[in-house]
Amino acid sequence: MKETFAKLSPFQVDPERVKIGFAADDFEKASAEEKSSMVETRKSVSYWRDAWRRFRKNTVSMVSLMVFLLVLFFAFIGPYLIPYNYSNQYRSSQKLAPGEYSDKELLIKSVEDDIDFMFATALQPGSITALSAGDYYLKYKGKAWCFSLGKTTGDTVFAIIDGEFVKIMERDIKNGEITASKPVDYFKTSEKDAKAQGYVKLDGVRSVFPHVFGTDSTGRDLMARTMYGARVSIIIGVVAAVIVLIIGSIYGSISGLAGGRVDFIMQRVVELIYSIPEVLIVLLLQVVLKDPLQNWFDSSNTVFAKAMSDLGSGIVSIFITFAVLYWVTMARIVRGQVLQLKKQEYVTAATALGASNARIIRRHLLPNCVGQLVITTCLQIPSAIFLESFLSFLGLGVSAPMASLGSLCSDAIATISLYPYRLVYPAVVLTIIVLSLNLVGDGLRDALDPRLKK
Amino acid sequence: MGIYILKRIGVAVLTLLVIMTITFFLMNAIPGSPFLTEKSTPLQIELANKKYGLDKPLIVQLKNYIVNYLKGDLGTSLKMQEGTSVNEIIFGQGKFALSMRLGLISLLVAVVIGIPLGCLAAYKRGSWLDGFLRVVTTVGVAIPTFVLAALLLIVFAVKLSWLPTLSGNLTGWKSYVMPVISLSFYYMCYIAKLTRTSMLDAINQDYIRTARAKGVNTRGLILKHALRNSLIPVITYLGPVCAGIITGSFVVESTFSIPGLGKYFVQCVLSRDYPVIMGTTVVLSALVIFMNLVVDITYKLVDPRITLVSKEE
Repeated sequence: MKETFAKLSPFQVDPERVKIGFAADDFEKASAEEKSSMVETRKSVSYWRDAWRRFRKNTVSMVSLMVFLLVLFFAFIGPYLIPYNYSNQYRSSQKLAPGEYSDKELLIKSVEDDIDFMFATALQPGSITALSAGDYYLKYKGKAWCFSLGKTTGDTVFAIIDGEFVKIMERDIKNGEITASKPVDYFKTSEKDAKAQGYVKLDGVRSVFPHVFGTDSTGRDLMARTMYGARVSIIIGVVAAVIVLIIGSIYGSISGLAGGRVDFIMQRVVELIYSIPEVLIVLLLQVVLKDPLQNWFDSSNTVFAKAMSDLGSGIVSIFITFAVLYWVTMARIVRGQVLQLKKQEYVTAATALGASNARIIRRHLLPNCVGQLVITTCLQIPSAIFLESFLSFLGLGVSAPMASLGSLCSDAIATISLYPYRLVYPAVVLTIIVLSLNLVGDGLRDALDPRLKK
Repeated sequence: MGIYILKRIGVAVLTLLVIMTITFFLMNAIPGSPFLTEKSTPLQIELANKKYGLDKPLIVQLKNYIVNYLKGDLGTSLKMQEGTSVNEIIFGQGKFALSMRLGLISLLVAVVIGIPLGCLAAYKRGSWLDGFLRVVTTVGVAIPTFVLAALLLIVFAVKLSWLPTLSGNLTGWKSYVMPVISLSFYYMCYIAKLTRTSMLDAINQDYIRTARAKGVNTRGLILKHALRNSLIPVITYLGPVCAGIITGSFVVESTFSIPGLGKYFVQCVLSRDYPVIMGTTVVLSALVIFMNLVVDITYKLVDPRITLVSKEE
């Protein structure tokens, strides 16, 4: 009996040598202290936490991430911090160099110290001269300060001086000098009453904000345009990458999971699209889609069409181009991953339990490719931004007054021998975006897919 | 091997056909008639349509294109002087030759400078040179071609006036410098990065250790043993490079005022000159597809381990 037992289990201990004895306290309940020693002290590290830990150690990627966040701040928060708008043309301030003030702005600046609030015609978009006769109000300290103009005035500053007592001054500017300075009759009321009585609001400023990047030939502030352009470029990049992600991952996982003849046909389609020199087709598509899209925007009333028309036909056709031609790389990568994953036991188990193919893709295959998906999507963004800037450079892409970094560069190149600095800002921002995203993508690759690490 | 090449040529021809079909339908979908001007009457448009065969059903038009292309006749322009043939537009006045020359030189520069730089970086791994090259190549792949071209133009032509602003017909080496640099810089950097990575991969392989143990000196090790294997990813990348250089030529040729084919393509798309769009698309696509074919075959020749007929299932 003993021998057979020993044969059955190689780990069997000889029972004669083991002395088994129990003490009474062996049967007492474990104390809290004893219990706590059995609890795992280290939390299990999730995939993302682990990846983040690796990513954080990578100095270059962390710095790039910070830089990219700064660019995001510049592009999305920045426009709210400066008083200029990307499309407004400040007619007295054309062709200013970075930080330069126009004569009128300088003049207004010279008086800004002794006033608290002002409205200056030279600072208003489009209005170089006139403020016609009528009733106006300035909003200051929550109150509306109403006054009436008897005659049309030329270059004028209306200022509220809030020292010992409040007064509104009208100062005329002619030939670069303040020619007249006279107090204006006013009365104070609430904004609501002022509006009700038909007074028109004048948007005032406290001081003249510098044109940090200068202005373009039509007097638009280049910093506002660069911020706006960066925003447009980033949005294009992200949306295009998401489109590629969706189409590519669905196509790739179906192709990989189905295998056989379906896979064969789907892969021939991919190869075909792969070998088309896409830029030739992209250029054609841009021209072809322009008018039909515009018609659709004009005729359709849905929210979706409205949103698309805000973006403009140029950008929408870039999205369509990505949806048609650029998903193949993603599809190839996902297919490769799925081919490996589908042989795993858990997929077999899911199949055996009766999971549908759609569920297997959704719950088992795609979540396991997530590292690859994130990396490829991240690297897709700069390539979309590149393509858009290329198209804008050729005069396709976004249309004025909208701006993207590419169209800003293209505008700048047209006048490069006179105003070389105009190219610098959009080009630098574009390069920083692409560079930081490339480096973040590299870092993600190392962090999410340690197998690939060299 | 022979079967493989035949197969690939078959696929290439099929791809070209598909591209022709797509282009044909796309350009017909561009709204408006190519003959529509402020002065033209409906009758004139109708007559012009009849003259150029645009009144026939689309399918027939497409068939005509394909039949004529097989004969080597790319048709006649709708917009240019009466009866200017597309062959003349594309190949005449040295346009095609000009673009080809620029493209090939840029390709050569990218490869001939990129690969040694990559080897150097891998060889001097961890040194300041490696760090410097890494910074240059990383920044290099983040600068768009047109920005680089404009920067070169402003620095070397406008400020320093060392090089001519307009490159024109590329006479003399000076006119080549800026277009070639702006066209090849991105790819040079990319190739250098690629070479460095795959070189480092190769250096860690066992056969390199064996060779080193046998006393091969380092230079021989890099040049003879490691380089050959690390070139494979670089060769695969050459296909996209060719397509990219053609695309880049659109930008470079318009920046430096070079009257090449790339500059022309954009113009003809915007002016809706159907036969010229078709002709340039097909010629450029054929070029890209041909280069891809060459790359694939070279790929196989360089690395006999690769089985090109996939046997994944």
